[in-house]
Amino acid sequence: MAGGLALLPSCLKEAGKSTILLKRISINLDQENLLAEVAETMIPKTDTPGARELNVHLYVLKMLDDCYEETDQKKFIAGIEQFNDHVYDKTTKSFNKLSVLQRQSILTELENNKKISPELAAFYTIMKQRTIKGYLNSQYVMTNLVKWELVPGRYNGYFPAKTA
Amino acid sequence: MSNINIDAAKANTFDAIIIGSGISGGWAAKEFTEKGLKTLVLERGRDVQHIKDYPTTNMYPYEFAHKGEVELAIKKENPIVSRCYAFREDAMHFMVKDKEHPYVQEKPFDWIRGYQVGGKSLLWARQTQRWSDFDFEGPARDDFAVDWPIRYKDIAPWYSYAEKFAGISGNRDGLSELPDGEFLPAFPLNAAEDYFKGVIKSKYNNRHVISARCAHLSKPNQIHLDQGRAKCQNRILCQRGCPFGGYFSSNASTLPWAAKTGHLTLKPFSVVESVIYDDAKGKVTGVRVVDAHTKVTTEYYAKVVFINAGALNTNLILLNSTSKRFPHGLGNDNGVLGKYVAFHNYSARISAEYDGLKQFTTDGRNPAGGGYIPRFRNVFKQETNFKRGYAAGFSAGRYSESNTDGVGPGLKNSLLHAPLGPWEVGSHMMGETIPKESNFVSLSSEKKDDWGIPQLNISVDYDENDALMKKDYIEQLTEMFTEAGFKNIKPNIEGQSPGLDIHEMGGARMGHDPKTSILNKWNQLHTCPNVFVTDGACMTSTSTQNPSLTYMALTARAVDYAVSAMSKGEIA
Repeated sequence: MAGGLALLPSCLKEAGKSTILLKRISINLDQENLLAEVAETMIPKTDTPGARELNVHLYVLKMLDDCYEETDQKKFIAGIEQFNDHVYDKTTKSFNKLSVLQRQSILTELENNKKISPELAAFYTIMKQRTIKGYLNSQYVMTNLVKWELVPGRYNGYFPAKTA
Repeated sequence: MSNINIDAAKANTFDAIIIGSGISGGWAAKEFTEKGLKTLVLERGRDVQHIKDYPTTNMYPYEFAHKGEVELAIKKENPIVSRCYAFREDAMHFMVKDKEHPYVQEKPFDWIRGYQVGGKSLLWARQTQRWSDFDFEGPARDDFAVDWPIRYKDIAPWYSYAEKFAGISGNRDGLSELPDGEFLPAFPLNAAEDYFKGVIKSKYNNRHVISARCAHLSKPNQIHLDQGRAKCQNRILCQRGCPFGGYFSSNASTLPWAAKTGHLTLKPFSVVESVIYDDAKGKVTGVRVVDAHTKVTTEYYAKVVFINAGALNTNLILLNSTSKRFPHGLGNDNGVLGKYVAFHNYSARISAEYDGLKQFTTDGRNPAGGGYIPRFRNVFKQETNFKRGYAAGFSAGRYSESNTDGVGPGLKNSLLHAPLGPWEVGSHMMGETIPKESNFVSLSSEKKDDWGIPQLNISVDYDENDALMKKDYIEQLTEMFTEAGFKNIKPNIEGQSPGLDIHEMGGARMGHDPKTSILNKWNQLHTCPNVFVTDGACMTSTSTQNPSLTYMALTARAVDYAVSAMSKGEIA
């Protein structure tokens, strides 16, 4: 159980299907794996786990499936394919064949490119926003890095702050 | 056969019937049962037992499938309730879905409801201030609605009574416009809130920033421990139901207290269709109930009936209670019932930043929410081009500001080690609205709900006074924020429809005169002495205070009167 999502036992998985139950969108395993790599590039493993290990990409899919308009879903999914094409045009390789630095460079270029298609923009924006939110709201981060307390039991309105 | 009927009638006969188990119904239950009366509480929704029925109460944000957000399909099916700030993944099970309980919006009105045992007392924002005579004397002084039949001295001891039991935290601020009460220690203001308080004190004669007064156990007394409640743990997850009983709700407090007396019968899934007026006997004898599931109708009988269904639903029940004697609704000889509905004007807010006091931030969470600015306009005399005035919330906090540019280890580091931004300060207005005949509810002649009960037409809107007041709020708060050196001041006047304030009031107002009001000074129907209304429907005017504490006090006072009248044979 990562990110509060129920994962299907692998024996039930159809070949090529995504690993989580999706109701409104259809994502294949290759696409899911690509999202995992994109999320991991955004928030990589360092001395602490990265987005892929925390299954943040599955949270992105869950949100896309349940919380977005159909038009955004279509753009996002079309954006995945455009992203693959875009990467190939730039590098003659697929994303997962690129080095970490190449991956970062491709994503940074997309982030700053104002001329990309609406589909590619929707893909990148949703992916980035949801990866950040999914990461910060993951169990690992909330219990180990930026702790969230269920029962604070206190309030101090004059708590010393680190000043820059 | 006749014996069976007599036995059935006996089993369905109580001393008192209370319609509704929310904040005022819960109080009525406590008061009647403590005085030894056999009491039936009817609740149209399901049972919600303290702690046991708070399924999300101990969940971490990552345990919610959507980390707190509501699915798009649910939002689309429920546009009205989705506009409520509390309709989130953690508490939406406590809120009425639009389609389940439709109503007719003759004008846009977001009717936010909680149909379950405890009602909206599970979900409320827990702000509790007393009214003063500047509020009770408002309609008479400023010539609107009708004169309140009570004054502060009539309700003051009952405020004390309710506060001691519910547990209200606050400071004794010594303000004549916002009387002090029986307080547990206040939750203190933080550094930036205190700073603003100081600025306002030095620049203005009669404007004050105080710690918000709220129904949280900052330091429980024995009476609270006896209820099984404990100190507030600063979770601020109140809308999920509190496992500590840290804030006041019917579920944590009055209902279990009433149950302990052995005199309480609580019937969930009991939709009240009408109050029964027996034309032959010339009095109200009980209540007609439709089972929420089976739709079977049952009658319950009692010597006295309290209607605490929530302001607009109380109007609906009264309007739907027709008889030969009352063809236009119970107690409605004068045609006033359903009219003069009012609410609180929450249509503006303002935010800004403060660059000072960066050596401080906050730690833990403040259940009071911060500060409160009591009404300062037109309090002691009329001084503006609009009637009455507004109270305001005021709060400040510092939040992490991460740079989310780029990708990779730099982004990750920025997210995990985000610096604190400046103090973010904000305020929202809580304006008094003027009850008018043209703001009303009525029964739909065509549309019925699933229980065969007419749907409610709601025809309530803002007026010119509300617009002028809103403008003044923005001007005054902008000035006050500017005096404090706040930067980046941003008024937000996008507003919201009436109803979303969840402070709808009136329709069965109190008054001296049976010709112009429905209830007398004891919240008793002028024309049916064994029927009382002590929820928001009774309100003659709205003032600016959050209303729940006043409902609690009025309810305890009315039950005390009713029981005394019953013992004297005045109510039989």
